[in-house]
Order: sequence, then structure tokens, then C-alpha cells
Amino acid sequence: METLREIFDPEFLLRNSVYIMLLVGFAAPLVGVYLILRRLIFLGVALPQISSCGIAFAFALPGWGLIPHMHDRVEERALALAGSVVFTLLAIFFLAVFERRGRGLVEGRIGTAYVLAGAWSILLLVQNPHGEHGMLELLRGEVISVSNLDMGLTAVVFAIVVTALFIFQKEFLLVSFDREMALTLKKKIFFWDAFLFTMVALTVSISVLTVGPLVTFGFLLLPPLITYQFARTMRQFILGASLVGGISGMIGFVIAYKWDLPVGPTAIAFLGVIFGVAFCVRKLIQKR
Amino acid sequence: MATDYILSLRDVAVGYGRLVVLPDVNLRLAQGAFIGLLGANGSGKSTLIKTIAGIIPPLSGQIQFQSGNHKTPILGYVPQRESLDASFLLSAFEVALMGVCGRVGPGRMIPAAEREHVKQCLHQAECDDFAHQRFSELSGGQRQRVLIARALAAHPQFLLLDEPTAGIDAAATQSIMELLRKIREQQGITILMVNHDLPMVRRYVEEVIWLRNGTIVQGPASELLSREKIEELLEISWL
Repeated sequence: METLREIFDPEFLLRNSVYIMLLVGFAAPLVGVYLILRRLIFLGVALPQISSCGIAFAFALPGWGLIPHMHDRVEERALALAGSVVFTLLAIFFLAVFERRGRGLVEGRIGTAYVLAGAWSILLLVQNPHGEHGMLELLRGEVISVSNLDMGLTAVVFAIVVTALFIFQKEFLLVSFDREMALTLKKKIFFWDAFLFTMVALTVSISVLTVGPLVTFGFLLLPPLITYQFARTMRQFILGASLVGGISGMIGFVIAYKWDLPVGPTAIAFLGVIFGVAFCVRKLIQKR
Repeated sequence: MATDYILSLRDVAVGYGRLVVLPDVNLRLAQGAFIGLLGANGSGKSTLIKTIAGIIPPLSGQIQFQSGNHKTPILGYVPQRESLDASFLLSAFEVALMGVCGRVGPGRMIPAAEREHVKQCLHQAECDDFAHQRFSELSGGQRQRVLIARALAAHPQFLLLDEPTAGIDAAATQSIMELLRKIREQQGITILMVNHDLPMVRRYVEEVIWLRNGTIVQGPASELLSREKIEELLEISWL
């Protein structure tokens, strides 16, 4: 109780970290639901890695003399966000184009993108000691130094994403469930796919920038996978995933704060425990 | 009296990318007819019906629709039910509700009148008892009825069905065919249906399109489904 009182004190030093865990926890599973339904779980793994590569690339640009060195935090974050968004969107665009042409294995392409993004992130960072420090913090998922700027930016982006997912849920569900039917109803499949994946890209980019790739991947997929075991309707699935994500983010922070652990990995480990418990409970229910 | 045609295909080639499945399709489908599309596995039935439905673009040639108001008729499409992913937690009613998405603009809530219309379509397809059950947990016949209700929800003038009775028991097949006959009689909808069940097709449809080795034979069911003609088309002998 004492820890909770301390964390929810308005003067709490790490209050932005609490808020960011709540935001990512509530918002990321909402797009993760679509990745699971469309059987694109691998994409959920690859995109955060590609997004990290974009950030590493952006941090490398001043070192190559292509743009001036950034001394202002606002400019630095804007550069990182631009790198993350551009790389994520490009990856989604190329994967969608290849999928449309129907050549090769989707998993193979996503796996290749993942491993190349990981390798290039490291190669870019070893050339750039300044960027390496920030990136290591991100990769570890420390979620400690979250500025008001990061908080505000994340809140705005997530507000846009959640609003779009809510307003256009009918269209996103139709093109995801039955593309052929959507085509006969004269729906613009490519537009709706691009729109949905842009929402995915924005969520992944901003999440990677604030909590890192591991935590992003964890919150994209684990809360929906936990909820899917019990949900009976799409509404239960979507809202349940968001609730599980948000509450786990909060509990993960409390545990990490109390035992002085890194926030992100603690939250993900906690989600893993819930997943295991949920799996066992479901098996027990099925046996009865 | 001149026949009104809802669809004509002139020199149409259908296929995927560089793979031409049917090189030269010339067809005319009469308004209000019940037509069976037959052929062996891999003969191009599904490819042809998907091309007509606008799911696959034709490789060449011209597809021309004609409806009463000289606009492209509204299509109701019933896909093969296995093509729909069972992981979506949708009820039969929610699946049928997708049929009205062509009339409800992006981002708009589905109005109460449209929901009522969907309920009527489900009632017409005799889906009332399982309308609120999960779609993926329904039997093959029940799912097929829901998909027909969904197609009807679009207010179609032309109904395209891709193997609606495949893998369904005899009783359910019979009741689906009766449902289609009733729809056609009551609403005057043109129906084009891919089917393998020759006795069932002979009993219900009046015209047949038979795909064989890349060529097309079209004619009245009574003629094309006679014993002699079937022997000729299937290149078999009954002894």
C-alpha cells in the first residue's frame, strides 16, 4: 500500500514512467489484436526491431555529417521518431507489396527483415557512442527517463490511433475477416489495409521510442493472447486485451519499483506469469 | 420475346497473373435465371465466379453487367465457407451484418433499420435459432445459411455462390437448395452457383455452364444433364 501511495503521489519523480506504462499497456494490445487475427504475430516481433533500426539510423546521421549534431532534446526525439516511423512504414509497405504479389513465404520475408534490422541496429550503434547509450537504455526497457515531451507525444499519437481503431472498426474487421466479400462490396482493400498498418506503425514507432522493442512486442501480443483464451466476442477480446495490458503495465511498474528491477522486462515477465496461469485455468475449465 | 441478360462476358481470359485458367470465355446469363456452374476439380469454376464477382481482375476481354436501371447490379457473394478464418470471435448476426457495409459509409454506425433488415435476412435463411451463436462453432450447413443471409443483406440482384453445399450432409444440402429456390422465386434474383452435385443441380437449376479442358459448354439443364451428354462431357461410359 505504501508503495502504491508513493507511486500515485503527484510529486512522484517517476510519474511519467507510470503513465507511459499505462498508455502503452492500454493502447498497444488494441493493434496487437489485429496482428493476431490476421496471423501476423511475426510482424509484431519484427516491427519493433525494424523501428529500433530506424532510430539507430537516425542517430547515425549526424555522425556521417549528413545533418548537424542535435543538442536539443526536442530535436533529438523528433529525429528518432522520424527514423522510427519512416523505417516501420517502409517495412510495412514493402511487406504488403510482396504479399500482394503473392511470391515467396511471408514468414521468410518477415524473419529476414527482423534479423537484418537487428544486425544493422548493432552495426550503426557501434559507430555512434552517443546514440549507443540511449539505445541500450531503450533495448533494456528501463522506462525511467521519460520526459514530458515523450509523454505528450505518446498520448497524442495513441489518442489518434485508438480513435481511428474505434471509428473504423467495421471496415478494419471486414477487410481482415473476408477480403473477397469486401471486394464485392466495392471496398478499397489496399486503402484500408494501408490505413490499419499505418496505425500499427505509429503505435510501434512511438512505443519503441519510449519503452523499447522488447516491451513493445510484449504488450502488442501477450495481452491479446491472454484474453483470447476466455473471450467470447470481439468486444470482449479487444477491450479485455487493452485492460489486461494496462493493468499489467501498472502492476509491472509497482513490482519493479519495489524490488528495484528494470520496469519493462518486469512488466513482460509479469504478463508471462498471467499467460501461464490463464493457460492452466483454461485447461482446467475445458476438463470439467 | 427477347431475353434480358444480366451479364455478358466477351473474349474474357481468366486466371492468376501469368497463369491463364480459361483463355476464351464467352457467356451470357439471363436475368432471373438459376444457373449451375459445373466442371471437374481445377477446371476454373471458382476462378471464373471470382472474376465475375470482381475479386480477380480479368486478364483480358470485357465483362458487362446490365441491370434494370442500367447500373452495375448489386452482387451478393457467398464464398467457400472454409475460406473464412475461425479465429474471429464473431456471432452469426455480426457476420451477416457485414452484408450491409456496402451501403453504410466508412466510420458510420450501422443504423437500426439496417440491423432489422439483417435480422429479416437471417430469418429468411432460417438462422433465428443460432443467430447469436459464434459463427465458427456452427455446423457447415448453418454457416452456409448465415453466409447466404449475409449476401441477401446486400439487397443483391445477382447472387454468386461458390460451392454452397460442399461437405454438407444430404438433408442440409436439400434445405439450402430449397432456400435458394425460394429466394429466386420470391425476389427474382439471378443465381449463379458452383456445384459438384449433379442430381441436385439437375433438380433445381434451369441452365448449366460446364467447364471442360479450358472450354465452355452452356445450355439448358435438361439437355446438358441428360445421361448421354454427361457421358460425353465426362468422357465416361456407363457400360
